[in-house]
Amino acid sequence: MMKGGRHLRSRGSARARRDFRTGLLFAMPWIIGFTVFVAYPIGASLYYSLCEFDGIRTPKWIGLANYRTMLLEDELFWRSLANTLYMVVIGLPIGMIVSLVIALLLNQRIRGMTFYRTLFYLPSITPIVATSILWLWLFNPQIGLINILLASIGVRDAPGWLTDPTWSKSALIIMGLWGAGGSMVIYLAALQDVPQALVEAAHLDGAGPIQAFRHVTVPMLSPVILFNLVMGLIGSFQYFTQAYVMTAGGPQDSTMFYALHLFNRAFLDFRMGYASAMAWALFIVTLACTAIVLRSSARWVYYAGEEA
Amino acid sequence: MIATSRIPIAYGPAVMATVLGLAGCAPQSPKGVREIVYWTGWSGHEYEVQQRILRDFHRTHPRIHVRMLSQFGNSGYQKVRIAFAGGSTPDIMSTVWADELAGYARRGVLTPLDRYLRRAGRNVDREYTTGVARMLRIDGRIYGLTATTNTQFIAYNRRIFREAGLDPDRPPRTIAELDAAAAACTRYARDGSFVRYGIRPAGLNTWAYVFGGRWYDPDTGRVTANDPHNVRALAWLASYSRRYDIRKMEAFQSTFGSSETPNGPFFVGKVAMWQTGEWADQYIRRYAPRLDWAWFPLPYPPEGRPMTTTAGGSVFVIPEASRNKEAAFTFLNWWTSPRPVERFCRSIGNVPPLILAGSQPSFQRDPLQRFAVRLSRSPNSFGPPPLPFWPTYAREITRAEEKACLGGQDPGRLLDDLQRRMVQEQRRVERELAR
Repeated sequence: MMKGGRHLRSRGSARARRDFRTGLLFAMPWIIGFTVFVAYPIGASLYYSLCEFDGIRTPKWIGLANYRTMLLEDELFWRSLANTLYMVVIGLPIGMIVSLVIALLLNQRIRGMTFYRTLFYLPSITPIVATSILWLWLFNPQIGLINILLASIGVRDAPGWLTDPTWSKSALIIMGLWGAGGSMVIYLAALQDVPQALVEAAHLDGAGPIQAFRHVTVPMLSPVILFNLVMGLIGSFQYFTQAYVMTAGGPQDSTMFYALHLFNRAFLDFRMGYASAMAWALFIVTLACTAIVLRSSARWVYYAGEEA
Repeated sequence: MIATSRIPIAYGPAVMATVLGLAGCAPQSPKGVREIVYWTGWSGHEYEVQQRILRDFHRTHPRIHVRMLSQFGNSGYQKVRIAFAGGSTPDIMSTVWADELAGYARRGVLTPLDRYLRRAGRNVDREYTTGVARMLRIDGRIYGLTATTNTQFIAYNRRIFREAGLDPDRPPRTIAELDAAAAACTRYARDGSFVRYGIRPAGLNTWAYVFGGRWYDPDTGRVTANDPHNVRALAWLASYSRRYDIRKMEAFQSTFGSSETPNGPFFVGKVAMWQTGEWADQYIRRYAPRLDWAWFPLPYPPEGRPMTTTAGGSVFVIPEASRNKEAAFTFLNWWTSPRPVERFCRSIGNVPPLILAGSQPSFQRDPLQRFAVRLSRSPNSFGPPPLPFWPTYAREITRAEEKACLGGQDPGRLLDDLQRRMVQEQRRVERELAR
């Protein structure tokens, strides 16, 4: 019995090993790809962040000097971090609320809904560069559609948008709303999953639409809100393309975002080592913010099947 | 199953090696013909012109075949950086901006051309315009050659000048005259917004030279950001923001983004004077063929420099990692000889950096081209200083200009601060390059 059992086990483990090997073999392209194109660059950037490295010649170990320069000497580091935090703290919540509101509107039962849904989703699949160039025109203070519209409703001192440091970030946030379709579809899908029975029960108990939304819909949506929040957080910290294409960081550094500053340091200033250090600092900040959000989620995210 | 699954494991490395091997192989070419790879930063029309010129080269040089690849736009220039980092560069490239030449040269990734030039009987100082020749020399050695350059001047609308009571045949020569002309041409609507304005001068990098300043001392190699002339230039640029409502001017000027479209403000008569270059000609011909316009060099103050312009453009370099330097130089030598340079510049609307090319009838017939050629030969033509951190420096100059003109900050203090930071940057880069 014992003998037979051992025999069986060893046969089983031989087979398991074989399966493991076959599995590994099939996974190899991805494992190799991940190692070569993701894991190695990540590791290399950590090493470079501790080096003086111009991106061309051999890196030279300098310890934490890059981090010290970053924190103590680089005024643009703090400026760009503050600009980026503005997008995270102001831009992200606005974007999330707007896409939720659009999703709620598109969750109504009226004719031609699929058309409207497509309409609102469409902008989010246009390339960012194309969108950015389009919005450059819309935001033009003199001949842009936005200011022409504002003038037609009697706004005489319309903002200079991208040419005015006090408005440039707001302009980018407004432009971001145009791409709200991406998170909107996720909300929409989740809204369709909200059990009608619960909503009806709330109504029977005398809840108005706002109360039903507040106490039934929002809790049911909370996992998706968390998802959109985390993804949005990571995306906002990496805000780059729009500023690169539209403003190049100006006017007066008002749209100099962290990723743009990092890019300039790496590719214009021959400071790849320093840029790597910046990337790791950003990683730590993003990680910390995400961790805080996830930690707090236990208090506000409701998963069906859990004790309420 | 098991047997077949083993095969890829055994073959995997072999397949991989084959793929990598193929990728690393030099391209096959007919016997006796040496193939060189050329990366160009020009695309579209300019690329096609190059292809035509290349055909001539192939006709006269049957033993060299040039494979031209377009590395267009910003990503192209990044690709260059990565190619240098990996040591897998083409044999020759024109994808290095004049701004970056010193940075690459000082990092040892470019071939010094002096030996080749001497052997070919070339003399950069005699052949090229002063500004360009100065720009190509880094620490006493030549690291690249150019086939194109640009000039900067002011185009003006003669009809607006007449309307404003100015003599269109006698454009401003001094800063004071320019200021007066700008004021005379400016018109406001009843609500205080602009109907038209005179000029919005910009580009501290250039105007500092006009005012007699400089960004580095060629004798000591030191940074001179807060040269008193530079400060005066910045104060003058900022004076325009004070004299004219800066917000309205910015709003009005933002249509400048579209200066190369039919409703560019200069083309439709909303701006009297346009700080531009010889390339403006083709746009005006296309979008405003009936515009009555002329041009004048950048006006200067009493202690300033006449006929000042900046020089720049794409530089042809032979990377140190090239395995076909001789053939690459043969190609470069031919490309930067008067005939191809003349043909290329004429076709794409640039100024030829070679004195002999600019003297050709094709450039001397047209009055604007003749003027641009004369301007490019001015002793006050300035290319990027041969500093390895110039792209950083140039960007910081623009930031200081923005802070003074839009943010109303004190020019003297801004340039003192710039000087302090650039001295620090220079020290850092020199230390880094010394190791």
